Amino acid sequence: MNWRNVKLILAREVRDQLRDRRTLFMIAILPMVLYPLLGMSFFQVTQFLREHPVRILVVNPPPAGELPPLIDGDRFSGTLFSPGDNRSADLLRVTSQSAPQDASRGADAWARQQMLEGGYDVVVSFPPEFALRAKAAIEPLRQDSGRPEPELDVSVYPNLARDSSRTAYRRVSDVLLKWRDELGRQNLESRGLPITAAKPFKIATHDVAEKSQHRAAAWSKILPLVLLLWALTGAFYPAIDLCAGEKERGTLETLLSSPAERLEIVWGKLLTVMLFSIATAVLNLSSLALTGTLVLSQLPNLGPPPTLAFLWLLVALVPMSALFSALCLALAVLAKSTKEGQYYLMPLVLVTMPLVVLPMSPGVELNFGNSLIPVTGVVLLLRSLLEGEYLAVLPYVPLVIAVTVACALLAIRWATNQFNSESVLFRESERLDVSLWLRHLVRDRGPTPSFAEAMFCGFLILLVKFFMSFAMRAPQSFADFVSLVAITQLIVIALPALLMAVFFTSRPTETLLVKRAPFGMPMAAALLALAFHPTANMLQAVVQWVYPLDDQVAKTISQMVFQPDSIWMLLLVIAVLPAICEEFAFRGFVLSGLRHMGHKWTAILVSSLFFGATHALFQQSIVASLVGVILGYIAVQSGSIWPCILFHAIHNSLAVLVQRVIGDAGQRPEWLQWILRDAPTDGMLYHWPVVLASACVSTAILYWFHRQPYARTPEESLQEAIDHQSAHWMPG
Amino acid sequence: MIHVRHLTKHYADLKRGKIVALGGVSFDAMPGQVYGLLGPNGAGKTTVLRILSTILRPSGGTASINGYEVLTQASHVRHQIGFVSTNTAVYDRMTAWEMVEYFGRLYGLEGETLRARMEEIFDRLQMNEIRDMLGAKMSTGMKQKVSIARAIVHDPPVLIFDEATSGLDVLVARALLKSIAELRDQGKCVIFSTHIMREVEKLCDRIAIMHRGHVLAEGTLGELCETHAQPDLEELFFHLIQDHDYRHAIVPAG
Repeated sequence: MNWRNVKLILAREVRDQLRDRRTLFMIAILPMVLYPLLGMSFFQVTQFLREHPVRILVVNPPPAGELPPLIDGDRFSGTLFSPGDNRSADLLRVTSQSAPQDASRGADAWARQQMLEGGYDVVVSFPPEFALRAKAAIEPLRQDSGRPEPELDVSVYPNLARDSSRTAYRRVSDVLLKWRDELGRQNLESRGLPITAAKPFKIATHDVAEKSQHRAAAWSKILPLVLLLWALTGAFYPAIDLCAGEKERGTLETLLSSPAERLEIVWGKLLTVMLFSIATAVLNLSSLALTGTLVLSQLPNLGPPPTLAFLWLLVALVPMSALFSALCLALAVLAKSTKEGQYYLMPLVLVTMPLVVLPMSPGVELNFGNSLIPVTGVVLLLRSLLEGEYLAVLPYVPLVIAVTVACALLAIRWATNQFNSESVLFRESERLDVSLWLRHLVRDRGPTPSFAEAMFCGFLILLVKFFMSFAMRAPQSFADFVSLVAITQLIVIALPALLMAVFFTSRPTETLLVKRAPFGMPMAAALLALAFHPTANMLQAVVQWVYPLDDQVAKTISQMVFQPDSIWMLLLVIAVLPAICEEFAFRGFVLSGLRHMGHKWTAILVSSLFFGATHALFQQSIVASLVGVILGYIAVQSGSIWPCILFHAIHNSLAVLVQRVIGDAGQRPEWLQWILRDAPTDGMLYHWPVVLASACVSTAILYWFHRQPYARTPEESLQEAIDHQSAHWMPG
Repeated sequence: MIHVRHLTKHYADLKRGKIVALGGVSFDAMPGQVYGLLGPNGAGKTTVLRILSTILRPSGGTASINGYEVLTQASHVRHQIGFVSTNTAVYDRMTAWEMVEYFGRLYGLEGETLRARMEEIFDRLQMNEIRDMLGAKMSTGMKQKVSIARAIVHDPPVLIFDEATSGLDVLVARALLKSIAELRDQGKCVIFSTHIMREVEKLCDRIAIMHRGHVLAEGTLGELCETHAQPDLEELFFHLIQDHDYRHAIVPAG
């Protein structure tokens, strides 16, 4: 890559964007005015947010006299509030009503009618002759004999669907509890007992957090959100202008015919988008900090943001901007016009927002599992850093950096591929006509499925499986389990792939790789499955250590393995059936279509992700995706489905057999103790030397596969020729 | 200079299925020559020129420019060509000077060499008045001048004009044709696509008449009229098109 060209493109794009009023408004003017305006609006709106009085209807209130005072005119008694707190008393407007409720209707309906007709927020209903019954209730106490009367019920009717009623309910509950305490105190005094007899202690809360920690905790929830939201927004609009805008103006063709390579164009544009993404986020943060310092410092619990916070935010901003910029660039180049480009923002936001908002949920903290989730890991890391928990987060920093950098690199790769795709760069706006499209699929079918058909098949399987999981009840017995697996494998996974192979391709057998495997390949695949088992077992254990299985789920899985009497039936359902159905779908139809991309490894990775995603549990999906990569590689190198089915069947069989036959330590032969050990939680593990040997032998067998010649698709051959030419060409 | 052999390009279209945009196109164009690609809309002219400019990849066949293969030596090829597309394609927020300078630098020119070359081009194309004018404020004629200046800033031996007169008024189109003739006189190999026969008659030394992805006839205007026994280019054009459609059992529209 010629960095001089990248610099030239970068300089031009930056100058171009700085001359665009819309961009300047988004990155500079909007942040400068947004937060001061929000701050001003906050104080303006505050006056409307003051607490408003609520109306309470008290039915059959106890008369003043022997009981502590509850109601004083149209207020609750002042004795029930802190001394001098007249405001709290004023917020509760009381209407007393002695009339008995309409006995012909239910109490709830009557209260609802009162609230509707009288405009009350809460209705409080005392039982008839409350005072007498309350006195009677403590008589046994006075006489030191007998059993106390059962508790009296005071019914409170709020409408918890309404905000004002919820507020009224909270306030009136406080008052009633205070009045109950008063009544209790009076009862105890009448017996000569102090209040401490019923309330031997008070709970005194002493918050050990310093004020700065409260401040940091509050800002740690706001700042990462603002940072990432604006980094995304700041990337999107320049990306649209730089790609879709260039298509619209007709300048893209000119640029593509210049000496700048596609990769240089992508990097020039990417760095421009990144620059504007960072600038937008920084300006927003600066404006927020200024507003926070000047305006929000007036509030008791939210002072200005800590200065050190900005350092961490800036460090995190660079990789996040790179990720968002590459994603925006790849999406924007799909658009034919800037108008069309705007529509692509929403899906990107919909995918990103849950990842940004997830860390705001209570109880979600930075741990090994969360640090592996893109975007979420960064937000959690930032939160912890802003709260000053440096030592606690230190182990996760490399993980978060690795995941973020890997995602950014993948996104950049995607953007580069988009710029290399003629169908993307010169896409025509097409009218959507489903019948025309279906006719095209059948009429113009190729020998193997197209990339789009492969992706469609993958998503169709996932979608149907998703709805199936709701439609079918959880298996209660092994027979249910067998039915569920059979329907899923045959109808949801295999059938779409087989039907699409028949209708949408001219050579279904070639698509599904139904042909004799080269000599030795099935044997090698079987050996690989045996050799790989300890490694797969360890991978599964590591995944379950990072993302532990729910106890109930683990128990259900265990039951399914140990419950059936017939091991052959178990093997048929768990090993043989999935091996056949999933291989025809994912290594057959999906992989055959994806290989038209021209990149063998990308096709294998995408097909294995589809394969992984069809597994019910997230923990299973991760390991299945890794196994899917091996299966995909075997399929490509052998050009036949049979070694894949063999590997798959043996792999699954071993997982079942090891748990079922030798999982019980008591029945395990002595010699197996040298190989296997019980896992710390559940199941069993291989000893480390066995795992190491397994990994080495597996690598050796995979290397053997690597050495075998394989049939390339025309796209893969062309891509290899181009890569070869690029690698050997030096700019002169 | 330009050697095209059995060039094919296929792609899929929802309505028409698998489209053969080029069905084995072959021709040669030499220095000091304006080579005209004449054909109706959809003939495949733009596809040929996009392949020669390395914007598209061919499905089959070969094409070389100055000895460099477009498929495997795309980077070399791009240094040999200047491309002017159908639309005038200028950046709205850049001045004429900035645009030409930008492409000059992409072609590796720097400092005084670039400046001197730009001064010469701006003088020759009479562009000094629009030197500091932003693209958004330029007329179509001005934009076309900038496009040519941008395409010739690195003094390439091959110039590709893809329907460059399309949408231009008579005066601007005439000035453009004059500029192309001057480039030919300087020894450049110019390849020029159009569907306007008068332009071909006036400008082109050799012609390829294209229709539905095929070259129906190729040679000088005199040779072609003589071989096919037609009095002029217009008659020759319709004769070839109708003959091709008849042989392929296609009823022409209208």
